[in-house]
Amino acid sequence: MSIMEYNGGSVIAMVGKECVAIASDLRLGNQALGISSNFQKIFQMTDRIFLGLPGLATDVTTLKETFRFRVNMYTIKEERELEPETFAHMVSSALYERRFGPYFIEPVMCGLQKTHDGSYKPFIAATDLIGCLNFAKDFVVAGTASSKLFGVAEGLWEPDLEPEDLFETCAQTLLNAVDRDAYSGWGAEVYVLTKDKVIKRTLKGRMD
Amino acid sequence: MSRSYDRALTVFSPDGHLFQVEYALEAVRKGTCAVGVRGKDVVVLGVEKKSVLQLQDPRTVRKVAMLDDHVCLAFAGLTADGRVLIDKARIECQSHRLTVEDPVTVEYITRHIAGIQQRYTQSGGVRPFGISTLIVGFDPHDTRPRLYQTEPGGIYSAWKANAIGRSSKTVREFLEKNHKDDMSRDDTIKLTVKSLLEVVQTGAKNIEISVMESYGKITSLDLTQIEAIVAEIEREKEAEAERKRSRLAATAAGQAAMSQAAGGSGQ
Amino acid sequence: MDISFALTGKGYVILASDTTAARSIVKMKVDEDKIKVLSPHLLMAYSGEPGDTVQFAEYIERNIRLYQIRNTYALRPPSAASWIRRTLADSLRSRKPYAVNLLIGGYDTSTHQPHLYWVDYLGTMSEVPFAAHGYGAYFALSLLDREDGLMSGSSYHDPEAPLEEGLKTLRRCLDEVAKRLVVTPEKYKVKVVDKDGVREIEI
Repeated sequence: MSIMEYNGGSVIAMVGKECVAIASDLRLGNQALGISSNFQKIFQMTDRIFLGLPGLATDVTTLKETFRFRVNMYTIKEERELEPETFAHMVSSALYERRFGPYFIEPVMCGLQKTHDGSYKPFIAATDLIGCLNFAKDFVVAGTASSKLFGVAEGLWEPDLEPEDLFETCAQTLLNAVDRDAYSGWGAEVYVLTKDKVIKRTLKGRMD
Repeated sequence: MSRSYDRALTVFSPDGHLFQVEYALEAVRKGTCAVGVRGKDVVVLGVEKKSVLQLQDPRTVRKVAMLDDHVCLAFAGLTADGRVLIDKARIECQSHRLTVEDPVTVEYITRHIAGIQQRYTQSGGVRPFGISTLIVGFDPHDTRPRLYQTEPGGIYSAWKANAIGRSSKTVREFLEKNHKDDMSRDDTIKLTVKSLLEVVQTGAKNIEISVMESYGKITSLDLTQIEAIVAEIEREKEAEAERKRSRLAATAAGQAAMSQAAGGSGQ
Repeated sequence: MDISFALTGKGYVILASDTTAARSIVKMKVDEDKIKVLSPHLLMAYSGEPGDTVQFAEYIERNIRLYQIRNTYALRPPSAASWIRRTLADSLRSRKPYAVNLLIGGYDTSTHQPHLYWVDYLGTMSEVPFAAHGYGAYFALSLLDREDGLMSGSSYHDPEAPLEEGLKTLRRCLDEVAKRLVVTPEKYKVKVVDKDGVREIEI
């Protein structure tokens, strides 16, 4: 039994055309025993950044609180909004600080990065539990269903999806992947981030 | 020459004084007055409240603090120092419960507070607390009311009735004249208010009274209740003055009659 | 191992905990109260490593009380639970972590909402409509999950049920454990928190 599989849970993030999506399941378990079907793993960090935290549930809450604190301190001290890429490095260094006694979390994040001409560029990234960054161009996955998520996403994802199509792709990828994973599932939620709005949808899933 | 003895706190002056401690006592003397009176099975704390500014919230200016379910503290001196000392005392109250499963006794927490105050007169880089405190309460499994006082130097002592702060000497002398053992609840409250009125000219609105009747039973009198007591005291004083006047008049009349009689006999 | 249950209803939370204190295979005590009253509207059932449990619960109790004395008002259930969780999470990565599992039930007097939190020794916390710790969880949770009994009035779990019905549901859980678990506790202590505060109920 690995500690990364103790509570279960999975997250995926995808790039679309001038939009990004992030989705997670809602299960909290104690190995095979389900405790809650309403355990959120995705958190909004700023207007344009979302963070998904699959892994050990105690660290999900602790890191959520840590990053809320750090992002607030950054915004107050710097008097400007945090950019997604900066945030990715903040996450990376926060995890590496605990290199030899890590948080058991593999964060997935997505956002819209401001470019020089004032438009927004989709951004996704993920790290391992000690903060090694992975900037992907298409999608990133993590959690107990990650191997299944890779497979389904590889088959469904295509470049330049519009927000609604991206939502459908992301939602279907997650739902179908977690159905093959005993430790993930029990409902899901999907966020689609576009330049002028956030769409949040809570999905029902198989309850077995 | 002598100026250098009040620089470093830990240094005595040649005649054995710690100047900083004496200055702290001066800060206490400048603070608002607080009175504590012990009755038969009640103990009362009364404090002189500074008039709050028109736009200030009076609830945020309090000089009586609860340390635990059964212990209350009033202080005179620097309010900011009071707050810090109160917080340390509250932590000790809970810590004591945690380690020995019993609430503190009033004497224990008094000794603890006095101990903190003493520490701040003997180490470098600190200054003493500019406050004296009156600590009242009931010990667990006991019905006797308690009243203690602490001073900036770390002295503590038990009292039947005492006052600290501005004009405390006047009030204490008043208490010495009027305190009786085994007073009832109402008499104890009345004596507290009466003694405070010796120094608080503005009357009821600048007086705050807390009454502790038994373990964990604390009530704070509201303005109308205090006003009623003040009015009663005024009435008694008036009656007393009236009696005095009529007695004086009687004596004067008697003297006049005598002199008249003497005059008459001379005619 | 100790068993504890909790469930919410209309304006209340019920907590139940068995009353045995055991060492190895021996019962040392049969009337142990393992539910602490943290403040006028907050309850905490604790279980886990003997020694750690009482030590931790008393530490929490004193600090919640200190907060109330300092600030006049008690912490509301979400804030109290959050602080307790953080204490456990910090403890987890210390030299000697507390091995304590908790059920925190409270009634928020500002929003008039009951709250129930499931917390384990790792500092995992989740707000739930019903919860359990110990072997009882394997029997009770699946029982409480059932939804089809709602219409008949003899419900399994209904977050809108009145207190009598909630207690009936709890009774069901205790009976199920008594029926199926090899070693069953003989007695439970049951406490309820609602708008009127905390009280114990004989069941």
